[in-house]
Amino acid sequence: MIGGMDDDLVFKALADPTRRMLLDRLFTRDGRTLTELEAQLEMTRFGVMKHLKVLEGAGLVVSRKRGREKLHFLNPVPIRQIHDRWIDKYREREVSALLDLKTSLEDTA
Amino acid sequence: MTTMTETTTQVYQLYIRATPEQVWDAITNPETIAKYFHGAQLDPGPLEVGASRRTWSPDRSRLWGDNTILECDPPRRFVHTWRSLYDDELAAEDESRVTWEIEPARGGTSKLTLVHDRLEGAPRTAASVRGWSFILSNLKTLLETGDPFPAEE
Repeated sequence: MIGGMDDDLVFKALADPTRRMLLDRLFTRDGRTLTELEAQLEMTRFGVMKHLKVLEGAGLVVSRKRGREKLHFLNPVPIRQIHDRWIDKYREREVSALLDLKTSLEDTA
Repeated sequence: MTTMTETTTQVYQLYIRATPEQVWDAITNPETIAKYFHGAQLDPGPLEVGASRRTWSPDRSRLWGDNTILECDPPRRFVHTWRSLYDDELAAEDESRVTWEIEPARGGTSKLTLVHDRLEGAPRTAASVRGWSFILSNLKTLLETGDPFPAEE
């Protein structure tokens, strides 16, 4: 659940088109039941459950009971953490490299 | 077919390498809150149901929030109202509700779940509070490293 292990689970969960589609569905409309998620996929209930379990294991989906129903919510926190750890850092470097290039090109011009 | 859909509830969850007591302190102690919540200044006050939680901008010139504690069960559950006063359009919307749940988890961690609901009458607020991810990531980093921002590696 901590550090690198978390990242592995998140990357593995995201490395599947059906699971990414499920996340997109929840992004569009959050808090859905399995029945509702299943209705829009060309897949068995068991298949959808399996994918949801992987997403829950990675913390990308959180399920909450409401009455007799289990609602699935998109949890954006792990993606934020991946963003902070893996994207922000490299993007900054890229931007500063481009700025360096611009400066050196303009200096020599 | 069941089509029960909850579009006015947002759920955020994360594991933090800290005790439930430390997490409780981080979400209730004004000094700690200032470190991860945009420098917000929370007025000190009793932690009890019905008590108000007034939050100010870092220079205390503008009221950011004036919320009421609805439930207080340390170190497990903390519920309060929510209205964003830092923006006139958001302030005009209905009050919503924030629930913090803390559970001990394996490996000496705590599971923190934040549920922001009753957003039916507050669509703009619902869009704006998507920033909870950022706040909670800062909170985790603060508790685990003593510094609210991700370390440079």
